[in-house]
Amino acid sequence: MRDPTPSMRSYSPSESVDAVVIGTGAGGAPLMARLASGGLSVVALEAGRHWSPADDFSTDEFDQNKLFWMDERLSGGGDPIAFGKNNSGIGVGGSTLHYTAYTPRAQPDDFALRRDFGVGADWPIGYDDLAPYYDALERFLGVSGPEHYPWGPSRDPYPLQPLPLNAPAQLMKRGCAALGIRTSPAANAALSGSYYQDGVGWRSACTNRGFCQAGCSTGAKASMDVTFIPLAIGAGAEVRSECFATGFERDAGGAITAVIYVNQGVEQRQRCRHVFLCAGAVESPRLLLINDLANASGEVGRNFMAHTGIQLWGRFAEEVRPFKGIPGALISEDTHRPRDADFAGGYLLQSIGVMPLTYAGQVARGRGLWGEPLRAHMRDYNHAAGINILGDCLPHAQNKLVLSDELDARGLPKPLIDFTNGDNEVAMTAHAERVMRDIWSAAGAEEVWAFPRNAHTIGTCRMGTDPDDAVVDVDCRAFDVPNLSVCDNSVFPSALAANPALTIMAVSLRTADRFLEG
Amino acid sequence: MAASETYAPGTVRMLIESDLVTPATRAVLKARLAVPPVVEPRFFSRDMFGTIGAVCDRLIPQPERPRPVDLPGALDTRLADGASDGWRYATMPPDEEMHRMGMTGIDQAAAAIYDRTFIELPTLEQDVVLRGVQAGTASGSIWAEMDGARYFEELLSLVTEIYYAHPLASEEIGTVAMADAHGWQAIGLNERETHEPVAAARMLGAE
Repeated sequence: MRDPTPSMRSYSPSESVDAVVIGTGAGGAPLMARLASGGLSVVALEAGRHWSPADDFSTDEFDQNKLFWMDERLSGGGDPIAFGKNNSGIGVGGSTLHYTAYTPRAQPDDFALRRDFGVGADWPIGYDDLAPYYDALERFLGVSGPEHYPWGPSRDPYPLQPLPLNAPAQLMKRGCAALGIRTSPAANAALSGSYYQDGVGWRSACTNRGFCQAGCSTGAKASMDVTFIPLAIGAGAEVRSECFATGFERDAGGAITAVIYVNQGVEQRQRCRHVFLCAGAVESPRLLLINDLANASGEVGRNFMAHTGIQLWGRFAEEVRPFKGIPGALISEDTHRPRDADFAGGYLLQSIGVMPLTYAGQVARGRGLWGEPLRAHMRDYNHAAGINILGDCLPHAQNKLVLSDELDARGLPKPLIDFTNGDNEVAMTAHAERVMRDIWSAAGAEEVWAFPRNAHTIGTCRMGTDPDDAVVDVDCRAFDVPNLSVCDNSVFPSALAANPALTIMAVSLRTADRFLEG
Repeated sequence: MAASETYAPGTVRMLIESDLVTPATRAVLKARLAVPPVVEPRFFSRDMFGTIGAVCDRLIPQPERPRPVDLPGALDTRLADGASDGWRYATMPPDEEMHRMGMTGIDQAAAAIYDRTFIELPTLEQDVVLRGVQAGTASGSIWAEMDGARYFEELLSLVTEIYYAHPLASEEIGTVAMADAHGWQAIGLNERETHEPVAAARMLGAE
């Protein structure tokens, strides 16, 4: 394995650095780069390895399970959430190593569900606060998308032309056209042409491998390890891989003086003046609960959310070969606020390609097929195509993360996450299934079947203005600890009807800017 | 119609040796092809290993293969190594215990209906037993304690993913997703890369 960081600066553990960042995904990596560029000394701790994708990433889903967080989590409630490969990454780059690169912006009204519908929670910041960051991120990452995006506020064209439509996208376009539903090539943070950015260098165009969710071996997908991480390291940050944070040292005033972590089985500590906890909506609250930190409100772990994400699969007479091309090539946001909705909020529609093993696993779980019927179904894999939704999810009090009584191999309590879709999510899912069945019928699908699921991990350390019902303030600073910030999908007060990665990065850059402004 | 996508035997195995497959991918797939069948289980007892073998034969029957993909062996190896998929249903016991209980429970269900062990039953009766577990209606003290439908889902999805990760299964469903060292250009409907193999049935003009 090649050393991915040949000329990285290193700090002494006894030296008190300006900032320790825990986690290197969409929450940690952008702010790390911004803080280091601002002249601060920054050390990032990452539980997983620092991969060299060209050498280390195979085109094999089983082998690439190494990108997923495999420490066991317990899933309870009426609709238990699948973790691991469904939503949880590990390694330098975090979950962006396995994200699909789907980067729609949230729309202005997503931030104000309570204002508009009287349910859920409003964000203390809005679209206008994040729009400059969306602009900058789309340029820096190299987002491919249409010149004129049909939904949301007016905006500049995407910096790169759209990625080509694969077969599932062509089918969705056909079905939607027949029904009068508008579609557009989607925004994807994967390059449709070679692209240069200062501090990163050249990245080459996407080769349509279609294995985004099992890791990009070419660097065309804008995961953090090929974008913000090299930018941060170039600006003087140190990224320590295989370092699992377990606790904190604090002074008499409650301020954190050092982060305790385990590397190769040995406990270490890094002295620091500020901590940015960016470990995601499961590990961030888990670390806070284990250390009884930042939880005077009792809100840590509460309001766990997961996007409604029902998938609809169909078999087509045409050859699809759904493993090719960017999986989510086509989008429609005509369902952002459906006129006939019997629910608050809305959802977006997305065409989906699928890798063979992922499809096989979903056929087994979703349809319960076995024996010759399973093998016969899978012999038609080349004719399968899907659509899915990404829909809002309201915060519910009973959906929460707590520490279980079971200990993991590290001797730490496993998290227990209870999740049940509420009436709003159930109604939205039913609406979406009807719409998608109509689209697939119009596109000519046979043997259509639905796979209900929830996607992403959101909430558990909510951002707010009132210390009694929020964990962090509008700048992501913990109310209860003078030098702790939390910045990842855990601070989202509501789920938003958009895939979270771009908004997590936008909040991350804003958090760094607010911190640097002091 | 369904079988028309199957490649000629050896198609994927030959492709793995070509420069259409990256070195990292080739190494993984060749290692998988070279795994010897498990004869002595490390996790299951011999009796349970016999039961899981018979169950796998019903979940993914491979009557056409003189040397079937070794599903019970891969399952035993995985459990012996303590591999996790990152989560489990909070109402289910840990994976190791769950599978031992599952095999015991399948024998209990077989005994309740036919007064025999699962492995002694003809395949039609074995399928009746498995359908009862899947439906959550199987009899036996294990199934009073553990949700049969959930167990069946866990077992089936794991065995299915092990099977379809094997190059022989890739040949069966006619996919060369792994042969992407040069990427894909022909990605639209009814498009096929010039170097992408043609299904066996189509070569013979069976369509």
